[in-house]
Amino acid sequence: MPTGSELSENHVSDLIPGYALDCLDSPERLLVSEHLAHCSQCQAELQGYRMVVDNLYLAAPQAAPPPGLKAKLLGDIPKKQPSYITEKPASIWERLRSSLSSNAPAWALAGLVIVLILAGSNLWLWQRGNRLAAAAPGNFRVIAMAGTDQAPKATGVLVMNPEGDQGTLVVDDLPPLDGSHQYQLWLLQNDQRDSGGVFSVSPAGYGSLMVNSERPLYQYTGFGITIEPAGGSPGPTGDKVMGGKLPQSRLLPFRSPRQPSHLSAQVRPSLSARLRPAFQSLALDR
Amino acid sequence: MDFKKIDDGQLIQWIARSNSDALSELYDRYSRLVFGVALNTIGDQAVAEEITQDVFMRVWERAGTYQAEYGKVAGWVASIARNRAIDVYRHRQSSSEARSTSLDDLLDFDPPDSQDVEREVELGSQRQRLRQALFELPKEQRQALALAYFRGYSHDEVAKALGEPLGTVKTRIRLGMQKLRQIFDEENG
Repeated sequence: MPTGSELSENHVSDLIPGYALDCLDSPERLLVSEHLAHCSQCQAELQGYRMVVDNLYLAAPQAAPPPGLKAKLLGDIPKKQPSYITEKPASIWERLRSSLSSNAPAWALAGLVIVLILAGSNLWLWQRGNRLAAAAPGNFRVIAMAGTDQAPKATGVLVMNPEGDQGTLVVDDLPPLDGSHQYQLWLLQNDQRDSGGVFSVSPAGYGSLMVNSERPLYQYTGFGITIEPAGGSPGPTGDKVMGGKLPQSRLLPFRSPRQPSHLSAQVRPSLSARLRPAFQSLALDR
Repeated sequence: MDFKKIDDGQLIQWIARSNSDALSELYDRYSRLVFGVALNTIGDQAVAEEITQDVFMRVWERAGTYQAEYGKVAGWVASIARNRAIDVYRHRQSSSEARSTSLDDLLDFDPPDSQDVEREVELGSQRQRLRQALFELPKEQRQALALAYFRGYSHDEVAKALGEPLGTVKTRIRLGMQKLRQIFDEENG
């Protein structure tokens, strides 16, 4: 942890070189991240040091690869799976889907509904625990996340509360990573990439993440998930595995369970209550 | 199309359209850099070859995601190479596949007097100045920077690798980065 002398004038100047080089330990990295969120002076410092790191490749040693490597590369096109994505065992969920493959469309829809309900109810319970005082009711927003070529089977949703300051991400079928890597959520706005947090997935590829954002989540234009070193990175560096956009015209309303409508008061809580144990046991089995 | 006459950015656009001749040209331009980074990090010729192939395969698959505003193509390719080499290094460490290597032999930047004229013209004077600046740093600072950059080591890991106190390593890295930053600011300011 940094000492008082390292934090002169409440800035984190002495830690910024290490932050740019990504060699701080987790508490230091968190400290710098939090400080950078509201300090333009240190943000400018960081840009200067990032320029150094981004150009260190100019001084990297060079060496000629063996002559046959180029032909092998061109012959191997197209793709292969990165080796740090570990082999994933078939899950109960997958086996269930497989056994019910004749009804795949219906079960895919049912699965999505379960994920949506679980995500919404999770967020609602989480908010209720954090804020007992009632907030103005409104619509939850649900963003569908889709896998890229790196994780073509992955699915997920990001549910944000009406205020946009909290959200919950639920993903499924993301490849499990080795211990030195985690997934990191990025909040996208033009060239800006804000970290939404890091998470890991179960051996079956299920994971979730609670997202807090000082800026309303609905002000971002999109969301992405990349593979990063464990603990996360200051900016995205690894493979993008999932993404989702937030076009205003395509927002899917999801009524808050707190809202006094017949549907939310009577149907959704009871449905959620019935589905939750089944879904949780399914997740625990993975 | 003579790909030797087009710039890196255009080359990437052709690769994004699955033009293998464009990938071939990019390989000619940057395979030495990629292979050098991999070999410097891993210290194993065969593994460095695999990494090099994997890096260009990733360029082939992800050329459409390259955005020029984030930096030059060379830097983008180098960052993929560095990240991939660090990933492989960590994986080998965790599975005890790595052979012991000498830090003095492996982890350093390219000394200024090792360059050939052709490459220097190609990559420009900034490369020369950066390498000169790096080799004006005390060896201890340069070595700590090399461990953090090439192997992705944390302060603590660098300290353990060098057998030095954590505070000493933090100071070395900070002073080294500050010196390089000063040189960049002078050139750009």
